[in-house]
Amino acid sequence: MPLSAVVADVATGVVLALRGGGDPYALSRVLPQDDPLAPAAIRVLGADVLAPYALDHRSAPAGADDETVVRQALAAYPPGPDASEVSVWTYRGLIEASRALLPGDPGDADRAWPQVPRAGAAWITTDPWPKLAFRASQLAALAFPGLAPDLADGLAARTDDLARGFVRAVRRRDWLQAAGLGRWLARLPHVPPTLGLDSGLVFVQQMSDGDARVALHVVAARQFYGRGG
Amino acid sequence: MTATADRGAAHAAAATLLDRMVRDSLRWLDGARPHFRLPPDVATGADPNLTLKPLGELAELTHLIRTSHPRADIRAAADGLFTFAWNETREGELFAELVRGEPHATYPLEIYGVFAYAGLRNTAVEAILPTTTGLRSWRVAREDHTRTLSVLDAERRTGLRQHADFDTVLGLTGLGLMAEPWALDRMAVYGITHDVFHLTDWGRERRRVPAALADYLRLWLPSWLDSWLEEQLWDLVGELLAVAACLPSAPYDPVAWQRLAEAQAADGSVPEMGAAPESGDAAEVFKACYHSTLVTAFAGTLARTGLEVSAAAEAGQAQAVAGRTRYKSEEPS
Repeated sequence: MPLSAVVADVATGVVLALRGGGDPYALSRVLPQDDPLAPAAIRVLGADVLAPYALDHRSAPAGADDETVVRQALAAYPPGPDASEVSVWTYRGLIEASRALLPGDPGDADRAWPQVPRAGAAWITTDPWPKLAFRASQLAALAFPGLAPDLADGLAARTDDLARGFVRAVRRRDWLQAAGLGRWLARLPHVPPTLGLDSGLVFVQQMSDGDARVALHVVAARQFYGRGG
Repeated sequence: MTATADRGAAHAAAATLLDRMVRDSLRWLDGARPHFRLPPDVATGADPNLTLKPLGELAELTHLIRTSHPRADIRAAADGLFTFAWNETREGELFAELVRGEPHATYPLEIYGVFAYAGLRNTAVEAILPTTTGLRSWRVAREDHTRTLSVLDAERRTGLRQHADFDTVLGLTGLGLMAEPWALDRMAVYGITHDVFHLTDWGRERRRVPAALADYLRLWLPSWLDSWLEEQLWDLVGELLAVAACLPSAPYDPVAWQRLAEAQAADGSVPEMGAAPESGDAAEVFKACYHSTLVTAFAGTLARTGLEVSAAAEAGQAQAVAGRTRYKSEEPS
């Protein structure tokens, strides 16, 4: 199974859990057993693999199995010295979410979570809006309650630009980018009302024809921020 | 360099670019007079989309340029083309023939309205229009509300009673409804540009844009421009730049203007889409370029007059930030 299919399977498991269907969520259960691509899939989806744990009633408490697979992903795919800022930010997001939602043990060197790497933030103020929107959409997993507050504050100053990016993404039929931006806008204050964010999120999900990663952003916008109808 | 000096230099560079683009466009349009000329069968067999539509656009847009461009040579060039258009209609006689041929069509009034607005009138037309436009059938709702705005404008310009309430009809258009900015296809965006042109009398009355609509346009124009620049649909790019210049604060987008300038050929023509046509057939070239070239001259004129407005708005905003005076942008008059 190619990585994209593994990612889609895991995303589908997260979506079902966030919607409240099926058995209580456990990351280790939605990952394909012994699949060598599992850590890569976790790295791609980032903090979102832990999203259902943020909704108490949608999951069983996270267990040691989950901690192990996330730790593998963090160890296997750290951002290198030339890593893009997006890569550093998503890595940070996964560490922050792990600290908040997985057991860990800061007193035990083997079970402490890695240090959060420094991530560049100048782009949040300086990027022209199309580029800003593209990057923000790649960081949509960080639009998660309590995560990356500094990033959210920076983006809050540019809601008009992110909203322009949403329009641009829909126009280009780039549903994943649009959904990611819609999810950020769901988290941020002062979104322009004429954007029509709620109907936009629903529209994007329906146009994407079942894309699990699009559905994940849309369901996160609804469950965490009450947007998208 | 101070911020004020920076703004001054940017303003001068923009004015130079815009004046060159408008002048080049008008030069090409002037050379294209033979193609704007109406054929002998214009009132009987010819396709109005290939004859009267280009001539009507020429009249509407050169009238704006001849009356509002700050440079005298440009005003004179536009004035020559406007007079040419009036002469092609045989000083309006043509419109009486068109109305007799198609009494229920709106385009004869819409084009005549441009000339009437400029004070050029024809007694035969003035005698017949109250009859045709006074019928109940004239008031039957049209499919395209944006087009109804055009008819209402022509009625106003000609001194006829308007057959419907402008604001009510505007409320049914893409602009009036403030349609979701991501839900607009090409035709819907064209519609919004024309809603703005009719609302502002083709950019003459920036203050007529209500604050909510101005805010809607200011927010979403950058997204729409980005899309149509990418598709190299130059006439729509030009119309969107004209819309920006119709806003009370007339925001100037130097990147988009530079892109449009690069699409303009050395002879002044601007293709409707993509690269300039390679055809050696002059009629084909005319068809592919006349509209975008006219729109470029029009948008360049509005943006040029808008530079003063946007400079004042920027200065006012700087003052507002400094807390000295409160600048109220984009308020209806």
